[in-house]
Amino acid sequence: MHPERTLALWCPAWAVSTACQEDAGLADAPVAIMERGPRGLVVFAASARARAVGVATGLRRREAEARCAELVIIDRDPAAEARAFESVARATEPITPAVVLERPGVLTFPTRGPSRYFGGDDALAARVLEAITALGVSDVRVGIADGAFAARLAARRAEPGASGAGATNVVAPGESPTFLAPWPVAVLRGLVEDGAGDGLSSLLVRLGLRTLGDFAALPAPSVLARFGTDGARAHRVAAGLDELTAAPTVPPPELVETCELDPPATRVDEVAFVAKELADRLLDRLAALGLACSQVVVEAETEHGEHHSRCWRHEGGLTAAALTTRVRWQLDAWLTNHASDADPVTAGLTLLRLAPDRVVPATGRQLGLWGGDAAAVDRAERVLARLQGMLGHHAVVSAVVDGGRTPTERVRWVPWGEPRDEPVAVDAAPWPGAVPGPAPARVHAAPVPAELLDASGDPVQVSGRGEAPTAPVRLRSDALPGGSGVVVAWSGPWAHDLRWWDRITRRRRALWQVVVTCPDPRPEAGGAAREQQLACLVAVEGGRAAVEAVYD
Amino acid sequence: MASAALSRRLPCRDDAARARLGAVADRTRPVTLARERSLPVAGSLGELLPGAALQRGTVVQVDGALGAGATSVALALAAAATQAGEWVGAVDLAGTLGAEAAAAAGVALERFPVVRLVPGALERWAAVVAALLDGVGLVLAELPRHARVGDARRLAARARERGAVLVVLPTAAARWPGDVSLHLVAEGGSWSGLESGAGLLASRALRLRVEGRGAAAQVRRGELARVG
Repeated sequence: MHPERTLALWCPAWAVSTACQEDAGLADAPVAIMERGPRGLVVFAASARARAVGVATGLRRREAEARCAELVIIDRDPAAEARAFESVARATEPITPAVVLERPGVLTFPTRGPSRYFGGDDALAARVLEAITALGVSDVRVGIADGAFAARLAARRAEPGASGAGATNVVAPGESPTFLAPWPVAVLRGLVEDGAGDGLSSLLVRLGLRTLGDFAALPAPSVLARFGTDGARAHRVAAGLDELTAAPTVPPPELVETCELDPPATRVDEVAFVAKELADRLLDRLAALGLACSQVVVEAETEHGEHHSRCWRHEGGLTAAALTTRVRWQLDAWLTNHASDADPVTAGLTLLRLAPDRVVPATGRQLGLWGGDAAAVDRAERVLARLQGMLGHHAVVSAVVDGGRTPTERVRWVPWGEPRDEPVAVDAAPWPGAVPGPAPARVHAAPVPAELLDASGDPVQVSGRGEAPTAPVRLRSDALPGGSGVVVAWSGPWAHDLRWWDRITRRRRALWQVVVTCPDPRPEAGGAAREQQLACLVAVEGGRAAVEAVYD
Repeated sequence: MASAALSRRLPCRDDAARARLGAVADRTRPVTLARERSLPVAGSLGELLPGAALQRGTVVQVDGALGAGATSVALALAAAATQAGEWVGAVDLAGTLGAEAAAAAGVALERFPVVRLVPGALERWAAVVAALLDGVGLVLAELPRHARVGDARRLAARARERGAVLVVLPTAAARWPGDVSLHLVAEGGSWSGLESGAGLLASRALRLRVEGRGAAAQVRRGELARVG
């Protein structure tokens, strides 16, 4: 089946221009937009001046700063990008009603109707370019080809002329396979969900298939046998065919999820909760039918009877999280009124509707017949998300054991759901001055005040050289069961001079490992009061002692 | 019309189909039911437990004065659960649970979410523990001062229904107001390695008393070797 002729509009530096719009002072500065990926914080997009000195996408923050000293680092804000992109989508609406947003900065639509109306693909591309440039967007690329994938690549190939305002590139009908053939297979990246496309493209290179043409020349049944359904989809796309073997099913109307908002919502956070519920419900019902959804229409109605709708598409099927994010972006774009809007939202939203636009048979994960790990993970994640909703984001945490000297320093608590960023091989090198021995099971993040006393009843002093003239004999603290205990064994003091290079945050302290005997607060019935041993870690800082941890 | 065509063409995955599939799965399930009802515990702690395992769906109380080693014993139980592939949730009231000790005991930290209850949220304690019992295989819950009999009964029923183990850690001021099927009491022990002004904490011999009902009715005492 031949893919539908499609126009793709691409704003190459959308993230940067959004950031510049929000802060006019950045217009001429070298700007890099950072995004947190699996490798940590990396450059997502860079302005022309930054690119000129070698700041490229994918560089780590420190490498980027090394290449350009005056680089302005900004965190990526996809919501702001989507909000700003709404104006581009609106400017396209007079040309076609079937606009599909792929991500902030990229939109596509089928050209069959508009192309005939405006007198050919070239005329249509020029008209779109003119409409978007009139908004003041500095760099716009328009590509027309068979299928959305080829159209996006055609837009990337559009070379801006001397004027620099934008460019168009039209691939003649039927020429798409020839056009696609010389592209490297790396462009398949992002086509398949969850980074699986990454693995596929690098595997193809290792197999000696460097271009889409090489890959497309393989027989389709062999590709399906070797690379599975995702590979077969990538193969069809590389060959310039439609990514679906069958025509997309028109979803039955009862799959549309609607929610009335009463009272009407005027802020995004009021609707976001409803949106999440709607998205979950929609995908649950689709999953029960064995379907996945790759394109969804978000519709909203206001108190004044205004009707807004926008179509979002995601390669390889929308997950609940991806769908919720897109709905949230869209609501944000509608509810944040721009002065330039021709058709603003003038009142609160009264209705939110999610309608699946293209559904395809789901070929995704299948659970094992007897449940299995995936089910346990789902169950736990759901419960933890509920607890976070109930108690707050920071109330559910997960621990990462990191480098450091004391037990408190060695553990980093990360809110559940955030990347754990586990250190690589923490045991590779010892920390100078780290407390040795077994790890204490009770760690006081805020040390409990204590008194470490010598034989004459005075606090044990630690000199500037980290030496103690007297031996500790008694430890008094609320952290101990009886309030105080007799020291039977000790070791220390170990002096720590922390951050000695910084006058303000410098800390000096000394640590003691102490074993005390204290009376057992719960003696056995009838028995005499017994004594028990208790080991703890005592820190002395600024002349004050405190119990940092108890070995329970 | 479109819907009818759709459901004919696609495999049916609605609730009825799932129920039928579940029935088939139950009939053809491989044996090992007895083992699935328990979490094996390895090492010297396991030798003190009846059947060297924790029974799923039961309440276990780990008791002991501060410093006697109750937390270490509880973390060892958590480690046994994560090693069996389960998730473990902990309710940490004072924010003092040592994650490094947990890792050293063998707990897989990526499957060990810790819920911190600020003092203001203490009245939600029972709701939090009940939610955790829904989601994970073993819950390590510190008891607040006000734990009620009704809560205890409800939580025990929830654990039984979900097949999860509830490990309660009473603090000095609180007691578990319900029945437990296993009661572990850490009785402390002497530390070795540290002397007067020299040496380092190395290990201790932790005395443990195990009481309970049924198979655990006979009181067992023993020492755990090398507990930190």
